Amino acid sequence: MANDTLAALVEWAPALLVGLGQNVLISLTAIAAGSAAGLFIGALNFSPLRPLARLWVQVFRNAPWLVLIYFTTYVFPFEVHLFGRYLAFPDWLKVTLGLALPASANVAEILRGAVGSIPATQWEAARSMAFSRAQVFTQVILPQCFTRMLPPWMNLYAIITMGTALASLVGVHDVIDTAQIASNTVNRIPFTVLIYFSLLALFFAWCFPISRLTQRLERRYAFH
Amino acid sequence: MNEALHALVQAVAGWGLDYRFLFDAYSRASLVDGALTTLALCLCAALGSLAVGLGLACALVSPRPVLAMPARAFVDVTRNTPTLVQLYCAFLVLNMLLTQAVGTGNPFTPFAWVVIVISLHKGAFHAEALRAGLQAVPATTLEAAGSLAFSAPQRFIYVQLPLALRFALPALVNNLIDLVKMTAIASAIAVNDVTYASIMIWTQSDNVIEMMVLLLAFYGALGLLVNAIGRWLEARLRMPGYGQ
Amino acid sequence: MPSTDTPLVRLRDVHLAFGATPVLKGIDLTVGKGQAVSIIGPSGSGKSTILRCLTGLLKPQRGELTVAGTAVHQLHGEAAHRPLRQRVGFVFQQYNLFPHLSVLDNLTVAPRKVLGLPAREAREQALALLAKVRMQHKAAAFPGELSGGQQQRVAIARALAMRPELILFDEVTSALDPEMVGEVLNVIGELTEEGMTCVLVTHEMRFAEGISDQVYFTEHGVIVEHGSAEQLFNHPGEARTQAFLQHALGQPGRRRIPDTYVLRNLSPYHLSV
Repeated sequence: MANDTLAALVEWAPALLVGLGQNVLISLTAIAAGSAAGLFIGALNFSPLRPLARLWVQVFRNAPWLVLIYFTTYVFPFEVHLFGRYLAFPDWLKVTLGLALPASANVAEILRGAVGSIPATQWEAARSMAFSRAQVFTQVILPQCFTRMLPPWMNLYAIITMGTALASLVGVHDVIDTAQIASNTVNRIPFTVLIYFSLLALFFAWCFPISRLTQRLERRYAFH
Repeated sequence: MNEALHALVQAVAGWGLDYRFLFDAYSRASLVDGALTTLALCLCAALGSLAVGLGLACALVSPRPVLAMPARAFVDVTRNTPTLVQLYCAFLVLNMLLTQAVGTGNPFTPFAWVVIVISLHKGAFHAEALRAGLQAVPATTLEAAGSLAFSAPQRFIYVQLPLALRFALPALVNNLIDLVKMTAIASAIAVNDVTYASIMIWTQSDNVIEMMVLLLAFYGALGLLVNAIGRWLEARLRMPGYGQ
Repeated sequence: MPSTDTPLVRLRDVHLAFGATPVLKGIDLTVGKGQAVSIIGPSGSGKSTILRCLTGLLKPQRGELTVAGTAVHQLHGEAAHRPLRQRVGFVFQQYNLFPHLSVLDNLTVAPRKVLGLPAREAREQALALLAKVRMQHKAAAFPGELSGGQQQRVAIARALAMRPELILFDEVTSALDPEMVGEVLNVIGELTEEGMTCVLVTHEMRFAEGISDQVYFTEHGVIVEHGSAEQLFNHPGEARTQAFLQHALGQPGRRRIPDTYVLRNLSPYHLSV
């Protein structure tokens, strides 16, 4: 019977991997969108629009991610009228937006922390070389921020990847949904046990190397 | 009381927000019950996670590999897999096996499983923070304790642990704020927490945005409360000569 | 100074190496009850190592160590050293007070938890000891709020709170600013006058000369010479002892400059070990 169970797992493996691909796609898109937005909002911290940035960060860092995902899933229409055509607004994209919101808030905070960790002497040196404020940022501060932001940013990516598991709760056909379908189809207890623990293994296989890499980068670029 | 409620709902209706579900006693009760359930989840999971965190941290810094290695493996696996998947493994798999084995004698409710899973998950994060705190206690301070003839357990309880706790406090408080948000996954296994109750209401009344506002306000307030408690603790456990 | 027949501390042919590096190469040392013994010498000579062997913080590879009747070299494991450490006080160069406890709690925690003293008695004893080191007005303060000299005096009181038979002082003024050295040395001087058995590793030559019954001069892990303070400081037998003392104290007949000032301006006998 063990052989049957393993055979069933092997049979479902391709579907599981496709499902995992859905999760990875969501995570990559979410971190990309979230980082772009987060860098912009983080930059607002140093402009007169600072209260807006603070508000955005406060709201989206204190919100449960599941609630935000429900929000984007239910609020956005299921199709969009664009350029005279109806485009389907897929569920996974809504989940991506739902994850991009807290991602942007976190990236904004990471940027704020990185800029704050640069010694005041750098600013003084740059300004005494007659750089404009924007130039100080782009030529001196931001290049130094990059390495300091890398470890927490990678950590954020790992957390977002684990957050994509919530997509299954709003009907996205991801790896968890695939596992549930498989479990109901095969309908044997040993297989159910195996497939749910395989889910753990799949996410672990994706996230653990990232967290290891993050630790190595932290040791290299730590600034405290 | 009813008039005040009516007036309030009318007022916000002017902004286009539909809070008429508040007139229905059942929906109101369900939401209040959900809020209380979330509070109970937060409290139980917070205490559970701190207990797990302390135990794991001691195992992590233990010189005995039979303790340190399984603890390390547990922390790595827990921190690198989604909480939802861990909840499914606990509720859909372990709980099912348990029910098969003991039938109706299974003492674990879905609420209990959520508390267990979140305690273990956040406990792993606490453990990392406490481990760093334990290792940050200077060896010379422990040496001084040894020179006063403290036994190893006494050194741990009276010197190493109090100092580690003070070092790790900000990280622990951040973890607990995350924990408050994490309790929302209870809705995935149909525990009637505030998220689940809100879902039930908005699928009936189609007022997603209104419920979102309430939900975000509720979780936000809880987060602020945990933050305030954390800051009060930091002030009480202050140690002149260190940090802020 | 009184001295009974059985010495409180006896080291016989003690050898200790850190890995392949020999640090103590055959140390013989005796401390009688009620005596004050100073160990002086250049940095790296093994002075602090000798002190650390006395409570089992370091373990010699060869030789006999007898402290307060206990054969220290035969003890194995932390728990075995506890009875010894209850009777031997240790004061560190870096004070090592517990930062999360008030001064008073620093003094009462060990007597209550290790000696089993009732809380009230421990507190009364602590306040009396704080008065002795002139720190009673800071009983509620935390170590982080005190200066180095104040912390070191509290550290001495903390060691005294365990009612030890012997106190070891490991370069206790080396980490202090010069103006605070005096207040700590005064406390130690009073202790020796009251008959407490003390072993000091110190760079304060003038002080060592003033309070010691016996002085040991170490260099490169061996005891070059030892004798009474009068003997060693005024008529040293060995050339090496003379050379060290000349550097540390200045030429005879020259204007006497405070020790700490002299030592800070000279090499190779630096203050740090």
